Amino acid sequence: MSATPTTSTPSAGQHRLRHVLGQWLFHLYGFAGYAFFYLPILILVIFSFNDSRSVSKWAGFTLRWYEAMLQDRQIMLALWNSVFVAVVSTAIATVLGTLAAMALERYRRFPGRLIADITLYLPIIIPDIAMAIMLLAFFNLSGIGLHIWKVHFFGVRLAVPISVIIGHVAFNISFVAVVVQARLAQMDRTLEEAAQDLYASPWRTFWRVTLPLMMPGVLGGALLAFTLSLDDFVITFFTSGAGFNTLPVRVFGMIRKGVTPKINAVSSLMLGFSLLLVTLALLAARGREERKVGFF
Amino acid sequence: MPDASSAAVELRDVVKRFGDVVAVDHVSLRIAPGEFFALLGPSGSGKTTTLRMIGGFELPTEGEVLIEGEPQGYKPPYQRPVNTVFQNYALFPHMTVAQNIAFGLEMRGVPKEEIRRRVSEMLDLVRLSGYERRRPHQLSGGEQQRVALARALINRPKVLLLDEPLGALDLKLRKAMQLELKAIQEQVGITFIYVTHDQEEAITMANRIAVMNKGKVLQVGTPQEVYEQPQTFFVADFIGDTNFLPVQVMQVTAPVEVMTESGTRLTASWAEPTLRTGVKAVMAVRPERMHLYRPGSGPEGPEWNRVEGIIRQVIYKGLDIRYEVFVAGECSLHVRMPVGRSEGTFQRGEHVIVAWPRAAARVFRSES
Repeated sequence: MSATPTTSTPSAGQHRLRHVLGQWLFHLYGFAGYAFFYLPILILVIFSFNDSRSVSKWAGFTLRWYEAMLQDRQIMLALWNSVFVAVVSTAIATVLGTLAAMALERYRRFPGRLIADITLYLPIIIPDIAMAIMLLAFFNLSGIGLHIWKVHFFGVRLAVPISVIIGHVAFNISFVAVVVQARLAQMDRTLEEAAQDLYASPWRTFWRVTLPLMMPGVLGGALLAFTLSLDDFVITFFTSGAGFNTLPVRVFGMIRKGVTPKINAVSSLMLGFSLLLVTLALLAARGREERKVGFF
Repeated sequence: MPDASSAAVELRDVVKRFGDVVAVDHVSLRIAPGEFFALLGPSGSGKTTTLRMIGGFELPTEGEVLIEGEPQGYKPPYQRPVNTVFQNYALFPHMTVAQNIAFGLEMRGVPKEEIRRRVSEMLDLVRLSGYERRRPHQLSGGEQQRVALARALINRPKVLLLDEPLGALDLKLRKAMQLELKAIQEQVGITFIYVTHDQEEAITMANRIAVMNKGKVLQVGTPQEVYEQPQTFFVADFIGDTNFLPVQVMQVTAPVEVMTESGTRLTASWAEPTLRTGVKAVMAVRPERMHLYRPGSGPEGPEWNRVEGIIRQVIYKGLDIRYEVFVAGECSLHVRMPVGRSEGTFQRGEHVIVAWPRAAARVFRSES
């Protein structure tokens, strides 16, 4: 470098000060970001243990709101409904979404490819409320209606909210398909050719090679679908018949009668559940990555 | 079909089109059982597409592929008695080495006990015993290559297809693997069809070579035939180093005679059949067939060609010395002379005679 010391060059001390200040501001910014996101959640969780009906004044530790929550049959039923809808819709959406992703990835060129892409991405970008109204109209016009099917399943009586499940499948297919497609795009096609070269029929190639290799994508998509389904309010609210509540819908009903720490407890429970799912997803992804090191 | 059964693989007038692009253009080949056959050509010459049609990964647009005399028609890869070693190995990353090698036998329902025995035989053959439980990403490139080979050979295919299998290895490992592959092929006696763009590799390993360019097979022959008697300009240019002198054809019947641009008459052993007297052409001579002499010496007579030149560059290569000789009004010639000849070495700027026998010279239509 041909730079010569001149009066306009800042001294070493100035450089250092600037550097330290910059670091400090940077950390502050990061901290503020975290606080903005997580402080409300922290407060919500803390007040779920508050021994008072107040949601602003601390009056000592208690578990009585959790007790009340567990004894509230309505909440427990809503929780069951949420999990049931999430499990069933995730299972269906994962199969259909994976098939859609494979078709789009396999057959890159066909007439109407763009339209197929657009229709697949649409449920991700269109507002929930628009989708909810469309689904409602669809159920009314098609005659499916908003019925709850009563099903006997190995001696257990199940209430199957067919319209809610179809609604959840409808938006979850897109999310699964997008995640699986991303995985398929980086998969080596010659692996499937190699399997076929080694006498595996297309069917066995799928089970022995394609599916195991795209499994991280399928699992990731399923986990995402499950979380979205568990979390959904708008579409569930519009497509569920009278008397059917999922947890978010139930919480909404409770909140209209006033906020109590019981709602905090329910929210904390859902938060804990989501946290668990995210952790599992990250752990699964990390496990895969470690195995992949050195392969590419 | 008594005649057809004598070929391990036969291509009859095969054409492959991708849309408007003709990837393989009326190719006919017969590959004998036990042969090490190389498909040699630059990228885009159709060699890989040809291989993929034998494997069943592509179907011919026209023509027919026969394996051991049997037309393959629309048979998918998993119903053909051939196996492939892929360019990037295509080992299954979610399976161990042993599982990878066992895959083909497992798909064909071979009993577990036999699979175990044959897998360990194969690991012996490719010198990877003890690697059973490793995963592909834990292996070096050369080891992955050998697993891919074992995975294909364990099925005892009638024909093994290899698509640039050594392309990803470094030069030293490649040379070692060339010899190893050749040894394994001789040991198992399976027909190998080997795709490569590396002419040295093809010459080292193959019994016969098909040189391809732009979807066409230009010449099929032993390495020696292809090297010493190229039939087209492309083959002469693609394989080995060659000097090309621009000439005008004087006589096309033997002995072939041509004239350089400065009027020197030269003679050649062969001229491309489509050449006519009076047209422009090129004379091709390998650098090692040319000799340098001091002015006034060297062989003379009708069997010899002589031109005068000036040494422009001298490069010592250990085994031989390479000279670049400037021939006034013509071109530069590259001459390769073994070290330790009686004439001694020549210096830059020296006047020399470049001489080569008629037998070493061939005349081609010039292509640009």
